Amino acid sequence: MQVEKFHYDNTTVRNFAYATMIWGAIGMLVGLYVSLQLVFPSLNIPQFGSFGRLRPLHTNAVIFAFVGNGIFMGVYYSLQRLCKARMYSDVLSKIHFWGWQSIIVLAAITLPLGMTAGKEYAELEWPIDIAITIMWVVFGWNMFGTILKRRERHLYVAIWFYIATFVTVAVLHIVNSFALPVNLFKSYSGYAGVQDALVQWWYGHNAVAFFLTTPYLGLMYYFLPKAANRPVYSYKLSIIHFWSLIFLYIWAGPHHLLYTSLPNWAQSLGVVFSVMLLFPSWGGMINGLLTLRGAWDRVRDDVILKFMVVAVTAYGMATFEGPMLSLKTVSAISHYTDWIVAHVHVGGLGWNGMLTFGILYWLLPKIFNTPLYSKKLASSHFWLATLGIIFYAVPLYWAGFTQSSMWKQFTASGQLKYTFLETVTYLKPFYAMRSFGGTLYLIGVIIMMYNLYKTVKSGKLVRDEAAEAPALEKLQGGFAGEHWHRKIERRPVQLLIGSLIVILIGGIVEFVPTFLVKSNVPTISSVKPYTPLELQGRDIYVREGCYTCHSQMIRPFRSETERYGEYSKAGEFVYDRPFQWGSKRTGPDLGREGASTLKKSNGWHFRHFREPSSMSEGSIMPSYSFMLKKDLDTSTTAAKIRTLQKLGTPYPKGFDKIANNVLMEQASSISFSLKSDSIRVAPNKEVIALIAYMQRLGTDISKPVQ
Amino acid sequence: MFKFIKQYTETISGAQIYPLISLLIFFLFFVVLLVYVQKLDKKSIKQISEIPLDDDINQNLN
Repeated sequence: MQVEKFHYDNTTVRNFAYATMIWGAIGMLVGLYVSLQLVFPSLNIPQFGSFGRLRPLHTNAVIFAFVGNGIFMGVYYSLQRLCKARMYSDVLSKIHFWGWQSIIVLAAITLPLGMTAGKEYAELEWPIDIAITIMWVVFGWNMFGTILKRRERHLYVAIWFYIATFVTVAVLHIVNSFALPVNLFKSYSGYAGVQDALVQWWYGHNAVAFFLTTPYLGLMYYFLPKAANRPVYSYKLSIIHFWSLIFLYIWAGPHHLLYTSLPNWAQSLGVVFSVMLLFPSWGGMINGLLTLRGAWDRVRDDVILKFMVVAVTAYGMATFEGPMLSLKTVSAISHYTDWIVAHVHVGGLGWNGMLTFGILYWLLPKIFNTPLYSKKLASSHFWLATLGIIFYAVPLYWAGFTQSSMWKQFTASGQLKYTFLETVTYLKPFYAMRSFGGTLYLIGVIIMMYNLYKTVKSGKLVRDEAAEAPALEKLQGGFAGEHWHRKIERRPVQLLIGSLIVILIGGIVEFVPTFLVKSNVPTISSVKPYTPLELQGRDIYVREGCYTCHSQMIRPFRSETERYGEYSKAGEFVYDRPFQWGSKRTGPDLGREGASTLKKSNGWHFRHFREPSSMSEGSIMPSYSFMLKKDLDTSTTAAKIRTLQKLGTPYPKGFDKIANNVLMEQASSISFSLKSDSIRVAPNKEVIALIAYMQRLGTDISKPVQ
Repeated sequence: MFKFIKQYTETISGAQIYPLISLLIFFLFFVVLLVYVQKLDKKSIKQISEIPLDDDINQNLN
């Protein structure tokens, strides 16, 4: 048997590990900052640092920068060892590393500048979307190259998870990012209204599934056995776990849209599959925890195992809560509240965070060939992180439940008991406690960075770690060597195709009827396209990330129709690109902001944008006074109209040429009406467009059909 | 649960069959998966599950 000598590449692993820590700290710091903005609205930095612009920066940073780099760190380490081969190409590894970091930097620049596609967790604009696609292909190429030249006959289950991650994220990203550019910095979604919502939450839910879950499960199946020094509890269970998880996950997206205008059958389908999802998720969790059977005494002393146990437990809690939240009755209470924020942070801080920390503590000393600098500091980090999660989640669960019951309470005479603002001010202490929890967690991360810095300083990176393994062909002996080799080479490709088919079934069953069956989105003849001024106003609404705090989707409950007016209809959103239903009500729903019961004067809106608390005392909304001075960019109007025409919005032919005249006419009339309210503002200011959009919201269905 | 399914199969035209087919597909898929896993060779499964652990021999050779 001929043994081949080769070297594992540890440099790329180290680079990704550093990037994980640095971006993690930055992403969490931004998270802490935006959480404080809810307690102290004066922390909103005018224009570039408002909650609406920074919150997407936080979510993108922790998902794609912290967890993203964490995935690559773990994959580059484990894949080489599981395949007994160096990564396919050092050049591709380098391109992948630096390309991914450049994307993160671009995101960190463009999001505060207000360049956003306005879809949650997919905010980045189209040129960056293309860059992400290219980098993802580089990653896949490098991964498959490594798998194909491996010296280990079998593909360990962790690699299955990596392959499914690669293929599904590619599909999700490409389908959801489908948009038509207006210019380099602005595009309109290829889908509108209900369809956009369905595609977005199919994406959003599966970003959780295939970016935050499957790759990390792959890491769990490698690093947990490594840290515990024993094989996984049941390999057979891991096979069942893998296939049922990826099959079921892809269907569950519609549970984000319960009681909305999404067709009822799609909602029910989402619920059924979400409930079933509990079983493979718990299968995985049990498999992880039982790997430690007979080694529980070591959990007491080994801080790495402690991190991993809490991670797997948090995974179990979040995946139990998820199916419960997807039940319609529970969703009626939890949706739009801080409960959901607590839920995702149990997953994010608990599962992703703790597993990442465990891996970092295990991996860096290993590749630097030195013991960890301080076990004591690591232990302090563990307790700070665990307490941080509790202090983060408990106040928000409480807040969410309180918020929901306050929204729904009526007095004996049948009036709503609380104004929306009362519920907001009531929650401030809970938000403050949440920030405290977040601070503890972040301090833990900083301690870890110090500890690992000291560790790295005392060792030396083993850049090319020597290893040896018998070549694969020789393993099979002389006979039928070619046949075996080819079969093995095909297997990862078969796996890729298999997972692709499995994940496509769910998407197709949900999309095809919603896109093709007309009765699923009944049209309303009085619903007309936005005027050019309203369109510009809407784009400002998207730019400012208003959807991070305001929904535009009134559910058919008495508590909502009393507060906001007639519940939202699917046909009202046919010209909305992107849809702006939102997922959180830190502020009230704006779906019928311009309609009868909620309608306010132009002057009210003007003063409210200038200083929200002057009109609603105790409001935590940031001031948008810069819009009072900033000129509306009308140079884009014609291009926007043309782009929308291409996407099917029925503006009359040649409308793009007169659009700006129509725009100025409407702007002048708003500016004129403000004069009677003793407000002097030129018609070409941004605030005028935003007021026009506010006054349009939700009015269409009450208009007479022309 | 059947009431759920019946309810939405009645409310849309042309797509009634989708949800039922999808449940059926998953059920069949799951049964085939269980049978496949049960038939796997125990020895090779044990061997595969130990892959992550057997690279330690070569650790830090340089």
